[in-house]
Amino acid sequence: MSAYILETRDLALAYGGFRAVDGVSLRVKAGTIHSVIGPNGAGKTSLFHCLTGGRKPTEGDIVFDGRDVTRRPAHARVGIGMARSFQVTSLFQNLSVRENLRLASQGRDGDRALAFWRPVSAGRAHLERADRIMERLNLSARANAAAGDLSHGQQRVLEVGMALCGEPKLLLLDEPTSGMGIDDIPVMTKLIADLGRDHTVMLIEHNMGIVMSISDTVTVMSRGKVLVEGRPDAVRADERVRAAYLGEAG
Amino acid sequence: MVPLPKGVWGGTTPAVLAILALLPVAVPSATLATEILIFAMAALACNLLLGYGGLLSFGQGLFFGVGSYLAALAMIHLEVGLVAALAIAVAAGAAVATAVGWLAIRRTGIYFVMLTLALAQMGYFLAYTLSKWTGGDNGLLDVPRPPLALFGVELASLDGAYAYYAFVAVLFLAVYVGARRVIDSPFGSTLVAIRENEARAAAVGFDTRHFKMLAFTLSGAVTALAGALYAMLINYVPLDNVAIAMSEHIVIMTIIGGTGSLLGSLLGAGTLVLVGEVLSAIWPRWPLLLGVGLILLVMFLRRGLWGGVESLIARYRRRGEAAE
Repeated sequence: MSAYILETRDLALAYGGFRAVDGVSLRVKAGTIHSVIGPNGAGKTSLFHCLTGGRKPTEGDIVFDGRDVTRRPAHARVGIGMARSFQVTSLFQNLSVRENLRLASQGRDGDRALAFWRPVSAGRAHLERADRIMERLNLSARANAAAGDLSHGQQRVLEVGMALCGEPKLLLLDEPTSGMGIDDIPVMTKLIADLGRDHTVMLIEHNMGIVMSISDTVTVMSRGKVLVEGRPDAVRADERVRAAYLGEAG
Repeated sequence: MVPLPKGVWGGTTPAVLAILALLPVAVPSATLATEILIFAMAALACNLLLGYGGLLSFGQGLFFGVGSYLAALAMIHLEVGLVAALAIAVAAGAAVATAVGWLAIRRTGIYFVMLTLALAQMGYFLAYTLSKWTGGDNGLLDVPRPPLALFGVELASLDGAYAYYAFVAVLFLAVYVGARRVIDSPFGSTLVAIRENEARAAAVGFDTRHFKMLAFTLSGAVTALAGALYAMLINYVPLDNVAIAMSEHIVIMTIIGGTGSLLGSLLGAGTLVLVGEVLSAIWPRWPLLLGVGLILLVMFLRRGLWGGVESLIARYRRRGEAAE
């Protein structure tokens, strides 16, 4: 097995004539936090859609853990160890926090949940995992609250927790701090850094400042292509990165 | 103190048992009570799709009709007994519903509803065209009601209205308890998750199509059972059994009773059958009033009759606590 858990080769996603992702070759090393950043319209989200199965790439392939997953549907990626969070919070709003996490744990086993003759309480492993993750997220006090009643910051944390319930080898996070208040952001960065200790994390972010402190590797995208890749300090110092971000501001 | 039973035998099940015992004396005839239970069964099955899965299916009449016709045809032409006829109906209903589900769930929202509608309409015209078998417009006449027999041993005659009621009541209880088990299963909880947020359900690893299809299969099986029991009740299969109006009827009962509550389905079916019985004797255009009732309900009692009962109980409890 290679040291890289995720590889893309010449990945492209075209919408008509527009190439949102244009020949991206990425390698994510197992056990690291790898961030993909870039200004608006750089193709980060399109890349994320390809990685999670939301969109089928028009060219190139994606290899995860030695398996070609290029055309694998989204739900079928969970069972082999990929899990994702959403940029716009996507929870089971009317269900309790515990039920949200229990369902996410149950999802790891896919079609085994078709068992309609068995009581939910028989799935002890799922309940235990949900409780364990709830503890880790500091949400145990709100276990029975509806997910929709949590504060925005807590919902963002639960959003990441849902992905965690799949016991993934690779955690794909889509702008986890998106929409979070300035006070909540450190909570999230701390959580991600913490998760990085026992998961491989791939992070899509718009805000450069957030990822620099926690990432092992940073890939900067611009106009669908990889602009620069390297250690955070090297990336920060790179002239081309400054130009890309300045270009956005100007 | 006697501990309350837990699980599927606790909760609302004792209330259902009480209703089953009282129903034949509370309503004008045992036949009417039987009709209520049969439609409650169909509404329960519709509720699984609509209330728990969020799937509005107009195919319910098709499954009901398939159950009616196949049980009747099997009894008439193959001379099979009661249990076999019901088993055939259940299997056929499950198969047809799986096929309808397989096709319809390829689309969502309004297109999904249209597909169930189109397939149900095809079923209706098929039944109409195959008049040699179904009797077409005239309906299928002389449907027998064989005695309850197992392995050739006759256990009970169901000719009497009360005997048949008892038989249907036992089946209803089995369906009710079974439905509660299904809803409290990993499958049922996943179905609710899909209703709440399908994209998230898929993202955590569920192949949502498989779950929706199984919901159709189960719903179709129970609806067809209701259809078969109805054919035996009235000894006849009218073409109406497979019509769109039947689908509507079942969906309306489910909504009136309250989606997402199984007891609500019994309440909804009971209300509609009884109101129909009373009003049709007074005024043949009574469905007009039904329309008004449905409008009021949707406007003011979104959770249906059972939702209304629940909020009354909650208010009563609060008042009780305040008095203490």
